[in-house]
Amino acid sequence: MQSKTPNISIAAFVEKSPPELQIEVLAGNAGLDDRFINSARIQKLGLALAGFAHYIHKGRIQIVGQSEIWYLSQLESEKRTEAIQNLDLDKVSCILITKGLDPVPELTRLAEDKGLPLLRTNMISSGAINQVSVFLQEILAPQITLHGVLMGMFGIGVLILGDSGIGKSECALDLITRGHYLIADDSVTIKKVGDKLEGKSPELIQDYLEIHGLGIINIRELFGVSAIGKGSQIEICIELKNWKEFEEIDRLGLKMHEEEIFGLKIPKFVLPVSSGRNLSTLVETAVRIHLLREAGFDAARSLIEKHQLLVGGL
Amino acid sequence: MLRGEVTIINRLGLHARAAAQLVRLSSGFKSRILLHRKDNAVVADAKSILSVLTLAAAQGSVLEIEVEGADEQAAFDAVLEIFGDGFGEL
Repeated sequence: MQSKTPNISIAAFVEKSPPELQIEVLAGNAGLDDRFINSARIQKLGLALAGFAHYIHKGRIQIVGQSEIWYLSQLESEKRTEAIQNLDLDKVSCILITKGLDPVPELTRLAEDKGLPLLRTNMISSGAINQVSVFLQEILAPQITLHGVLMGMFGIGVLILGDSGIGKSECALDLITRGHYLIADDSVTIKKVGDKLEGKSPELIQDYLEIHGLGIINIRELFGVSAIGKGSQIEICIELKNWKEFEEIDRLGLKMHEEEIFGLKIPKFVLPVSSGRNLSTLVETAVRIHLLREAGFDAARSLIEKHQLLVGGL
Repeated sequence: MLRGEVTIINRLGLHARAAAQLVRLSSGFKSRILLHRKDNAVVADAKSILSVLTLAAAQGSVLEIEVEGADEQAAFDAVLEIFGDGFGEL
């Protein structure tokens, strides 16, 4: 599975960042398109200005707040230039000044010379750092679009996988008529945000479902807004498999499968498909089983414990 | 498993009717046929129309094709051919 290497140009950052930040570009316009942020973590320039610049990471936003400006303004002009040059300005992705502070003239001049974007926001450092981190985490999250169906059921996101033609979309339609909602049919965009997987529909096919024989239908128009969800955290995965492809079926339901996406494991039920098996009931029940297990109840285990007591095995 | 790359050559890209043609062709095979568009990390199943449309592949887009199954060679050749043909639009 290959995902896009996430990064964002400074120009895109300025354009897309939350409006509360009201970012303005003070200098270094030349670098807006060819400097990139590739980490959601920020750095404060503090110690680097005092001479300890080894910790500067290339792909992070460098925050300059009251203390940095204060430190710089009490230096003599020559020392200031030296302190700023020390930062290895070719390496730094961009500098964000907070609290609407005015940069020292040397900083503006050097940023302009080096094509290092010098940005400013009126927010105070703590607020700005929070906004920036949340925004970057979202936009830099690794992302992939996979073949599958994503449903919202009993408050959790259920990813349904399986080869084409096995009945994922029909199953989704059936689940919709039972009051669950569709998030994405046939193609699901999955993002790793922190240690969670967020799923949603690619914009183009949001609300649509394809059923063999009926063609492409619009779920929002046919069933109303409550049948559609915008996105959800993916908590379990259901894989539909042809009965014939099954080597061995776990008849007790003790063995838990897992699906790995971006290194995160989510519990998976593998359901054999054959005529006469009502898929949507099975999927719905699988989700209920998962919720019960989360709450600490496991039918298979409790039966086995009872049985063991009976045969004196414990 | 067979793997290969194709470039979309027809002017309109992988538009709706071309996509439908590809889906119809792919559905005739047993093998699983996947299309990867690497520049935006989209993986589509060639047998699903919505999935193929999600690729939003314009003229010049490069797709990696991955075919696996009992009739993979025939399926692979057929898919390469339909792309090479520009979906009969050249």
